[in-house]
Amino acid sequence: MKLRYNTEIISGAVFAVVGAVLWLLIPSQIQTMEKGAVNAQTLPRIAIGGMFIFAIGLLLEGLFAREKKELVITADSFRSGAFKKELRSIVYCLFLVAYCLIIQPLGFVVSTVLLVLAVMLYYGARKWYYYAIPLAMVGIVYYVFKVLLHVSLP
Amino acid sequence: MEQFLGGLSILMQWQNLLVIPLGLAIGIVVGAIPGLTSDLGIILCIPLTYGMDPTMAILMLLAIYCGGTYGGSITAILINTPGTSANAATLFDGYPMTVKGQAFKALQMALFASTIGGLISAFALLFLAPLIAKITLLFGPAEYFALAVFGLSVIAGVSNNSIFKGLIGACIGLFMATVGVDNISGTARFIFGQRKLMAGIDLIIALIGMFAISEILMKSKYNPKTDHKSISASAITKDKITKDEYRRCWKPIGLGSLIGVIIGATPGTGGGLAAFISYNQTKQSSKHPETFGHGEIEGVAASESANNGACGATMIPMLTLGVPGDGATAILMGAFMLHGMVPGPTLFAEQGNILYAIMLGLIVVNVFMYIIGSGFTRFYAHITRLPYEILAPIVMTFCIAGAYSTNNRVYDIFIILIFGIVAYFLRRMDFQLVPILLGIVLGPLAEKNFRRAMVISEGSFKIFFTRPISCAFILIAVGSVLLFAWKNYKSRSAKAK
Repeated sequence: MKLRYNTEIISGAVFAVVGAVLWLLIPSQIQTMEKGAVNAQTLPRIAIGGMFIFAIGLLLEGLFAREKKELVITADSFRSGAFKKELRSIVYCLFLVAYCLIIQPLGFVVSTVLLVLAVMLYYGARKWYYYAIPLAMVGIVYYVFKVLLHVSLP
Repeated sequence: MEQFLGGLSILMQWQNLLVIPLGLAIGIVVGAIPGLTSDLGIILCIPLTYGMDPTMAILMLLAIYCGGTYGGSITAILINTPGTSANAATLFDGYPMTVKGQAFKALQMALFASTIGGLISAFALLFLAPLIAKITLLFGPAEYFALAVFGLSVIAGVSNNSIFKGLIGACIGLFMATVGVDNISGTARFIFGQRKLMAGIDLIIALIGMFAISEILMKSKYNPKTDHKSISASAITKDKITKDEYRRCWKPIGLGSLIGVIIGATPGTGGGLAAFISYNQTKQSSKHPETFGHGEIEGVAASESANNGACGATMIPMLTLGVPGDGATAILMGAFMLHGMVPGPTLFAEQGNILYAIMLGLIVVNVFMYIIGSGFTRFYAHITRLPYEILAPIVMTFCIAGAYSTNNRVYDIFIILIFGIVAYFLRRMDFQLVPILLGIVLGPLAEKNFRRAMVISEGSFKIFFTRPISCAFILIAVGSVLLFAWKNYKSRSAKAK
């Protein structure tokens, strides 16, 4: 499959859809009792309406006024270096999502130590002191927030 | 005069003087580490200022801002990678000086020029801001709204080459500013049944997510074997600046500082642009322009005086009009608001003493910057050797602790992650994040005063055009958007040909 695209087409299409969906949600998400023409819905309507109109403008700009890249999707595309790099970003995001899920049951120190170890392994750090510095920093941050700033961490 | 003296006495409190070198040290280190910027340094340190009084907190953040802008020159000179975008012009001659074995000299000149530029900028802020503030006391809701529109027009200058992307960014920011309970009618807006969203999206949470987490995700493709650049400590010799070189550099430093102040005071520009203009002007007016780009010390002086010259000046529209001039001042404006000070026309009347303490503090920041910078020049080579695989988890730990400490809830860690992923997508799509930030910061000001003005005018839009100041702001805003759009169109047409 052959695709011709640029960032304008992708982002224009995404925000046109997001704008349209948010516009339709306004009546249910902002149930105002105000009777005047200017009310709690006014600014959200301007912002969301603007988002939709400018997204259409961006989409048209991308379709007619900007250079496009060509992407040929084949079975080999999924084995390419570029695809693997994109996959790495997703793996990184998954680390953070997993962290959000474990921080409450495990607490700040244990979960952050696990996150630090995961990130260090992700980057392929081999030297022991590369691990020691960020791990020590977890302890320092915990001490600074908990003891010095009196901010409780989970 | 009374406020000036009051400010001076606040500034002279030992704890205020103590946080300045601390902030500078953080700023210089953050600026000197490729991948970390002064903006990020300010964001990560905002949670640390919660327990401080407003003067102390803002002085520390200002010191990070100034230190970071100077610190960015260190990597530009040593490893050909600017620490911040404001230092990009320093590359042209800074790195060639390092190649010639004059790294120490280049670092010294960067420090000297940054200090002079910063001092001139601080004095401009001290003398110009109160004058502008007196005029702005005449403002009513229509003028405030027009001012917010003018502030949003800054997006035209910070949208790179697509005005549509900037406008969409501003709309995203305005939309995010409306989430939560509307202050005027008490109506809940876009909370999707989540009671935790009733208070809206915390500015610091949005900042950490958009800038820090997205930066971490942007660097997820970093390869330690190929992407890490460093310089050995032995490469920094002790070759000092000669008297003749100081004499030659006075003109570029003076010109650069002046350009920095003028450009910095213009919203939507910032230190990076000032540095390029200053570099160009100095090169054009030089008797030996052919030496520029090959390790000319005047080039370093011109760009560094201009970018630090813009630091204090960007605060002029922020403090007097409530219009942040660039990303860093937008973040600083958020910090002012977190500490109970709303930048804008009334700030001088309500909290003049604190403001004078901050403006005078900026002078002290620049003096301390010279002292600290002079003492640690040789140490900088070691900073640049820190690998990103060590920095990434450290930054992440600060982000998480900072986000959690804002409201003491895990929910906010989820929010920074969502903001981070959205901002990562936007950055991959070549969007700038500053328009979103401007939308978030200026949205509430625009909405509140728009609704008040409409009540006063009984629903007529004429109020924005019949009042001269309001009309002038709106015309300037429209004019600047059209001008930037026209310039973009012209430059694209020229490229296409």
